[in-house]
Amino acid sequence: MTEPAVVVLPLWLPGLILLLAAGGLVAVGLCRRWAGAAAEETAEEERDWSIPELVVETAPGNLFQRWDTRIKLATLLGYAFLVVSLHRPGPAAAAVLISAVAVLLARIPSTGVLKRAAGISGFLLMLALIMPLTVRRHPGDPIVVIAGLEFLTFNPRGLTLALTIGCKALAVALLMEPMLATSALGNTLEALARLGVPVKLTQMVLLSHRYLHVFAAESQRMQTAMRARGFKQRTDRRTLQTVANFLGMLFVRSFDRTQRVQDAMLARGFTGRFPVHHRFAAAPGDWLLAVAWLSVGVILLLFDRFGL
Amino acid sequence: MHDIDQALLPKHLANPLLQAEQLSYSYGNGQQALDRIELSIAAGDRLALVGQNGAGKTTLARLLIGLLRPRSGRVLYAGVELAGDQLRRARLEIGLLFQDPDDQLFCNSLYEDVAFGLFNRGLAPELVADRVRRALTTVGLEHLAGKPPHHLSTGQKKRAALATQLAMEPLVLILDEPTANLDPHQEQLLLEQLQRFSGTLIAISHDLPFLCELCDRAVVLEEGRIHHDYSLRELVSHPPSMRRHGLDFTFRFSCCGGHPEAPRQVPPTAAAAVQAEGAEAAPSQPLTGTVPLFQLRDLHYTYPDGTRALRGIDLTIEAGDSIALVGENGAGKSTLLACLGGIRLGRGDCRFHGNRIERKHGGELWRHLGVVFQDSADQLFCASCREEVAFGPEQMGLSKSEVARRVEQALCQVRLGGYEERVPLYLSGGERKRLALASVLGMEPEVLILDEPTAGLDPRSQELLLAILQRLPTTKILVSHDMFFIGAVTSRTLVMHQGKIIKNYLTSQFLSDKALSSLNQIHYTYKNRCCTEILGLDQGAYFQHAPDR
Repeated sequence: MTEPAVVVLPLWLPGLILLLAAGGLVAVGLCRRWAGAAAEETAEEERDWSIPELVVETAPGNLFQRWDTRIKLATLLGYAFLVVSLHRPGPAAAAVLISAVAVLLARIPSTGVLKRAAGISGFLLMLALIMPLTVRRHPGDPIVVIAGLEFLTFNPRGLTLALTIGCKALAVALLMEPMLATSALGNTLEALARLGVPVKLTQMVLLSHRYLHVFAAESQRMQTAMRARGFKQRTDRRTLQTVANFLGMLFVRSFDRTQRVQDAMLARGFTGRFPVHHRFAAAPGDWLLAVAWLSVGVILLLFDRFGL
Repeated sequence: MHDIDQALLPKHLANPLLQAEQLSYSYGNGQQALDRIELSIAAGDRLALVGQNGAGKTTLARLLIGLLRPRSGRVLYAGVELAGDQLRRARLEIGLLFQDPDDQLFCNSLYEDVAFGLFNRGLAPELVADRVRRALTTVGLEHLAGKPPHHLSTGQKKRAALATQLAMEPLVLILDEPTANLDPHQEQLLLEQLQRFSGTLIAISHDLPFLCELCDRAVVLEEGRIHHDYSLRELVSHPPSMRRHGLDFTFRFSCCGGHPEAPRQVPPTAAAAVQAEGAEAAPSQPLTGTVPLFQLRDLHYTYPDGTRALRGIDLTIEAGDSIALVGENGAGKSTLLACLGGIRLGRGDCRFHGNRIERKHGGELWRHLGVVFQDSADQLFCASCREEVAFGPEQMGLSKSEVARRVEQALCQVRLGGYEERVPLYLSGGERKRLALASVLGMEPEVLILDEPTAGLDPRSQELLLAILQRLPTTKILVSHDMFFIGAVTSRTLVMHQGKIIKNYLTSQFLSDKALSSLNQIHYTYKNRCCTEILGLDQGAYFQHAPDR
């Protein structure tokens, strides 16, 4: 068995890398703040709500808005599976590029995209830090050590692996925007139901999306009322009792709300199935686009496997 | 006039559209909600269902539409018992407007909500689209068809919920507390829309002036039974009867010689007295040598979604002031209260006793302030009334004996002595509101902040709450749409519009301002007009029967 090649780095180099990483984190923080400020500025511009979303989809829009939702979901989900099957950083980076192009084509506001990317950046950074230290060493893998910190051995293959995983995660996360943000939620869930997802599940998601806001607001108001009477979370029995009371009351209120919502549905003739608002009609163009998109995924996979 | 202890027998109509026969209902815990109800409602009737909190009004409405199964008796719709196909038909032809519009708007856009019932009825999509447009236009929300309901204001939600019913073109429309939490402008809009409705109308409300504009028949429920079934005019022109059923809102006239539009005589506070000398509408001036209680300079607040709730608020509040904040729904009143209470931290200078409020939740500010929230349910989370009132004093680190003393005192102050072991969840609406007040009075706050204290309360509970608040010597800051309450409790009124204070004057000046509606398009005097009309129904009846006050 051959001895692994050992590369010794001077101590200042990892310091520089850490500095760069810290700079990256600051940049992410600034991006988040900028995104928030941009949202605040644009909030003044009132959106035209007179056109229901289910009509928006039929209006001339971008490529993803025009694409039949069922085919779009099936295609992009299939493509996402191809992307996560990649093994090498080059094709994975190409997948990120393709997702970025898709985001541009879908005309998604950059604030949302940046927020999503910033959201997963913490996990990816952790992978990049941990994997070079923990990845299993293969025969022939070089080993990097830092002068003065010889007890820490880094495997560059771990970094490559972390980069590949990071690129794949970023590519799929970015793809979520054109996949889910270019149709109304009801439309997307209806399309998922047509693709075989149980209807009860899609209905639950639809109702949950609506009432999450209501429950969050109720919970927020209750917490505010508790703080207004001096409640502070501590690690004592009193806090435990108060939090239990709070959760119990939240549950009771949520249960009551659920019953009232069901009553409201029954009062308008609900018989167990939500009305279907969306009529899907796939055109040849939709299928062509699906084939083209999946072909890109297959080419990426071939390039990944055979280096063509 | 009838003997108030003698129940007037229910009317029996020849061809009722909706009929309850010996209808009884009990809750899961065995509590009797309705007892042998006999009620006949003809097509075209406009009926007010009134009674105290807990009288069984909402339960009766749910039984009439078949959402609850009666324990005994039956409900007939168009002469056929509610069951099977007739139940389905009734649900499509009888509309029920829920008290909380969030219960009724469960879809992800306003359009889908309004279309929901129409699709359930099996209508063609083109017809559905047409009806949705018409219903939304009727309530003035056609420009918001694609908006998710959780982005609508309270008034808009209420009108949207009405649109979900109007689109169904119901033969019967049942309204459960339709005016709760609406500003006078929104209330008037709702009233106009309901007045245009030509079908049978059943309205549950404590708001008698509103009901008088809408209904001609009154059914009075008391402890689950129908006590009176006669004309609404008869009811409102007979104060002893209203008093007996906790519906007497005429206490609202007692302060101003029976003329609701006359300025009320409110004892001026020190600050208000200073203002009164300094002519009209000046902001509160600090008393010489004293630091103001609150001092706000150029305060701004923007919500995370970008909504600018406060825009450059300048305000000084002196100790002992009683201040009302008025304005349309969404004007920024509650946000301003939250900033004063340290719950939200705005941009600008906000000081309490000269110290800048810099930390979110105000650091130790909670020890000085008592905040009574609009919905008591937000404030009550303990298993007993004693625990609820004791919570704040315990957080203050007081001794057990002092906590016990404060609990007893606070419960007595709000007339809930003896309720110590009762479960807050099972109290009536009025009792819950008073318990919420007790839970902050136990902390003996310097400032009492009240957000819509009268919302959803029956007149008797309102009168009781008013009596309690008038006796409290603390500084009071009140958000309300209730002009009478403002007149009776506060000495200074701030009118807010789009996040700004556009007018700051003495409450007496505010109430006699003839140009109120031009301030921010809110018809503050609309309610007074309704009251005047009621008074005109039976001139002198109120004064003949008025109790010694």
